[in-house]
Amino acid sequence: MNGRVWPAVCGALATLGAACAMLPLVDRTSWILQAALLLTVQSAVGVVARRVPLAAPLTIALQAVTSLLLLTVVFAREQAVAGVLPGPDVLQHFDHLLRESLDDIGRYAIPAPATVALRLLLVGGVLLVGLVVDALAVTYGGAAPAGLPLLALYSIGAGLAKGGSDWLLFLPAAAGYLLLLLAEGRERLSRWGRVFGGQPPSADGPAAIGAGRGPSPVRTGHRIGALVLGIALVAPAVLPSIGGGLLQPRGRGDGPGGSGGTISAVNPLVSLQNSLNQPENREVLRYRVAPPGGQDLYLRIVSLDRFDGASWRASERRITNVPMPMLPAPTGLAPEVRADPVGMSVAAADGYAQNYLPMPYPAQSVDRLTGQWRYEPEGRTLVGDHGQTTRGLRYEVAVLRVQPTAAQLAAAPAPPEALLREYTQVPDNVPAVVARTAREVTAGAANAYEQAIRLQDFFAVGGGFRYDTEVRSGSGHDAIARFLEEKRGFCVHFSFSMAAMARTLGIPARVAVGFTPGSPQADGSMSVGSKDAHAWPELYFEGAGWTRFEPTPSRGTQPEYTVAQAPTAPDPGAPVPAPSRRTVPSAAPSVDPACPPEQRKLAGCPGPASRASAAETGGSTSPLTVAGFALACLAALALPLLPMLWRIRTRARRLGGARSPGEPAARTLAAWRELTDSAWDYGIPPDDSRTPRMAADRIVVTARLEGPAAEAAGRVATAVERTLYAPGPSPAEGLAGDVELVRAGLHASAAPRARLRARLAPRSAVRIVRAAARRRSAAGAALRSGPVGRAWRRVGAALRGIAAGLRTGRRG
Amino acid sequence: MIAGAASTLGGGRSVTRRIMPRYWAEEDRVTTYDERASLSDLTTTADRVRRSVEGVIEGKPEVVRLSLTVLLAEGHLLIEDVPGVGKTMLAKALARSLDCSVRRIQFTPDLLPSDITGVSVYDQQRRDFEFKPGAIFAQIVIGDEINRASPKTQSALLESMEERQVTVDGHTYELPGPFMVVATQNPVEMEGTYPLPEAQRDRFMARVSMGYPSPEAELRMLDAHAGFSPLDDLQPVAHAHEIVKMIDAVRSVHVAESVRRYAVDLVTATRHHPDLRLGASPRATLHLVRAAKAAAALAGRDFALPDDVRALAVAVLAHRLLPTAQAQLNRRTAELIVMDLLQRTPLPDPFGQQPPGARRL
Repeated sequence: MNGRVWPAVCGALATLGAACAMLPLVDRTSWILQAALLLTVQSAVGVVARRVPLAAPLTIALQAVTSLLLLTVVFAREQAVAGVLPGPDVLQHFDHLLRESLDDIGRYAIPAPATVALRLLLVGGVLLVGLVVDALAVTYGGAAPAGLPLLALYSIGAGLAKGGSDWLLFLPAAAGYLLLLLAEGRERLSRWGRVFGGQPPSADGPAAIGAGRGPSPVRTGHRIGALVLGIALVAPAVLPSIGGGLLQPRGRGDGPGGSGGTISAVNPLVSLQNSLNQPENREVLRYRVAPPGGQDLYLRIVSLDRFDGASWRASERRITNVPMPMLPAPTGLAPEVRADPVGMSVAAADGYAQNYLPMPYPAQSVDRLTGQWRYEPEGRTLVGDHGQTTRGLRYEVAVLRVQPTAAQLAAAPAPPEALLREYTQVPDNVPAVVARTAREVTAGAANAYEQAIRLQDFFAVGGGFRYDTEVRSGSGHDAIARFLEEKRGFCVHFSFSMAAMARTLGIPARVAVGFTPGSPQADGSMSVGSKDAHAWPELYFEGAGWTRFEPTPSRGTQPEYTVAQAPTAPDPGAPVPAPSRRTVPSAAPSVDPACPPEQRKLAGCPGPASRASAAETGGSTSPLTVAGFALACLAALALPLLPMLWRIRTRARRLGGARSPGEPAARTLAAWRELTDSAWDYGIPPDDSRTPRMAADRIVVTARLEGPAAEAAGRVATAVERTLYAPGPSPAEGLAGDVELVRAGLHASAAPRARLRARLAPRSAVRIVRAAARRRSAAGAALRSGPVGRAWRRVGAALRGIAAGLRTGRRG
Repeated sequence: MIAGAASTLGGGRSVTRRIMPRYWAEEDRVTTYDERASLSDLTTTADRVRRSVEGVIEGKPEVVRLSLTVLLAEGHLLIEDVPGVGKTMLAKALARSLDCSVRRIQFTPDLLPSDITGVSVYDQQRRDFEFKPGAIFAQIVIGDEINRASPKTQSALLESMEERQVTVDGHTYELPGPFMVVATQNPVEMEGTYPLPEAQRDRFMARVSMGYPSPEAELRMLDAHAGFSPLDDLQPVAHAHEIVKMIDAVRSVHVAESVRRYAVDLVTATRHHPDLRLGASPRATLHLVRAAKAAAALAGRDFALPDDVRALAVAVLAHRLLPTAQAQLNRRTAELIVMDLLQRTPLPDPFGQQPPGARRL
């Protein structure tokens, strides 16, 4: 027993590789060094314990205790007894930290600040996985199952970073695992003694890589490993309809801190808050409106329509090509509601990479748009495909400024059933206080519109809420309840709460994220800055469609129809004064401003929807893609059938000899090969150590052939003997028929599964592989003996000479 | 140079004519049809002989077949087994089934070489030496318990086996064809015996062990032959000149190049086998191929197969091999080693993908 140093090292490396997947989770990466250090100590303890050797459970226990000590020293030195020994205080402290870390997880979006609690969680988790890996792979000697904890570690990182971590992080994780497998295999092999390489090392320079024992298997291992990794990376990217390939191009954007101040975050809402809290207000968009008066349109990025009780998210929806030239008519917009067309030309800043296209609600058409964009009909948003973002983009949007009157809204009929069902879903875990508050606030309201107005007023005016961007956007099921209690928050809280409450009242609601209109510039254009990022509720009223409300105090503008209404008492008939420009709420366009958006970053942004859409995108694109995909499908289907097809063709060729003129001897031999291959297909492998008659006897006996089939086999064998050993040519008539007879006999005596196998996956198809291997080795031999090979060997010899010289030099 | 076996054909031919190994030169030989039996004649005659012998030797068809093969291949047969299993019976049955002259020599320590070859006696009337032929002058010679005679006597027999002639006092006497020596040897009770040295065993084409009969065969033997010798009923079923023709037919059996190479490979392999102190001689190769021809002819084929070679390899090769002491300790007998070689020597590849040189062990 040597303590199994090498596998232990590989196990630690594999754990670290998988841990790399968690790097994006927190904003500092120094924790991984800490983890690496502790992991090294833990593995070293394992090595020593195995060398002693201790029993396996003892080894593991020792490692666990060591790790606990290490964690104590690093994270809880003050509470420890003598600064080292973990007492009850330490455990309490750990417990406290872990609780806190769970809170932090809930509190922060990714990447989270590297608090002590989170670091403890990360380092501790890595150590735990490292311990399990070490125990499985080294102490108990089974590297393969060690993949499970590694996978768990990787999945946590990759899963939390939504969006998937990028392929660069996949590589260390996968490579680490392969390395572990390799080391274990080598270890196992080495117990058999010295491993002989395929060639003497002198003949092949590169062979020297695997120095020490067993260059050959290691070399093979490298090749296989590299091949597997390559396939895992490339295959999904090549297959058109499987989304989420790691190599799929995703936002070009640079990570945080990249050039041009790209705004990035994992969660649109969080990024929104970050934007609001940024010290400087960076311009993200600049636009002009054509008939002046459209300056109150909020630019919408995405709508969050799924409420899980804690927060709102964008659900994953089907996306299509952008309909040209006009987008479909907006849902629920009736002709009698006033809707003025407004033109808008937008220029996005170079540093603004967002893969949703900011535009007011309901856009009718988008022109001059470059890049790959796709359309999501439900939310009427444009989504960048294949990493397309708004970076530096210029485009023109034609939108409708929908201006319903309060009367029209008040008189709105019930929404369609399907829409109602979908957009009034409220999960059970929403605290009762939400619905109760909603009911209290809207008590006495005559209709949905009035309820909506009262909700808006409750937040904006009467409820005593304060706008405060310092508040954490928060999560957890009681986030809304907490907000209702503390009455401090920013647009996210207001919009979330209002939308949630509207849903409890049975009004279809969702949350839109985007920008407020921004500030007018001297040249008449409008400038939208990162501080204009915003979120607002959209409520649905039949006739007007999705209608914007503005519950956030001191932000944006309240739509005319809501203000006008405020006085209440809708005078049913009374036409509300047509909106002046300032206040005109384009009802439908939920136009508001500015939530700057987001992100870009792979993980990003726009939430699940964008990614899902990107994925789907591939599927339904151009007909060419479809054709390519169909072709690929066909190829994939045909691939397993290749052996069968090859077999059928070969059989026809071998037995068809009677028709094609050929030498009788060749025909006889072809028939013989066909006979032995047929037997092979049915499970009787060919055996070079048998003469034809022995082989035929064996087939007859093994397959229990009788009667004509057995005789036919004998006849073929005799013909082969004559051909091979008798003087003079011998005729080969009727052999094809005999072979068919034997095949029929084989088929009849085989079990159903064997029959199926012989037909679909004939064993003798291995000949293709063997032939290929033979050709390859022949080519390889030719190459080696050719000028290239000679040159290569010379280079290798020279390098070795230099290395040897260096070694002796050093020694001297 | 190994001398080819002397011809058994026409008596008048000069001996020096065939010093070259016969079978390599034979390809060009032209044989006319009246000179040799056709294959079908050969098989029917051989079948008759076989049935006749099997009537005496119960339950040992392979042994009988091998004896016939050796006869047709112009070889000599060494039967080695414990007493009482029918060694002598086999030899006698074979001899009697053929209408040939038969002599039986019981080897004893005091047997003299001249008893075998013959002696010149001075004829006072003619005032000349007259040659009295010894026991060897017969077509089938049965040498019983050959290991009991002194080496000097043994070599007299073995010399005439190889040369097919006897030289006494400067006169050379050709032996009549067909000529076959069937010697028996008793492997137990070796005290006071002179086991055949390797060089002499090499002269026998094949060695065969009778082995005990199966209980059924033994039972049949009791029923059929209780009380009288089965040999008494035996009538000759083939004439000597028929045998000569058959031997001639066997010579013309075709041996393909790949089969010859296989035989050579096999014999060569014995010379490199780690368990063998002594491998087989080139004469063994010659005997192997010749026996394979005879076996092919007996099966009604005019060409030999690797199967023939395989079937005969143990009988033809095993008695010429000397296992090392180590192998003997491990109970690795020569038979087992030959079987092992049969497994390991590559057969001719029907599809000829390997270059010829690659086939060697």
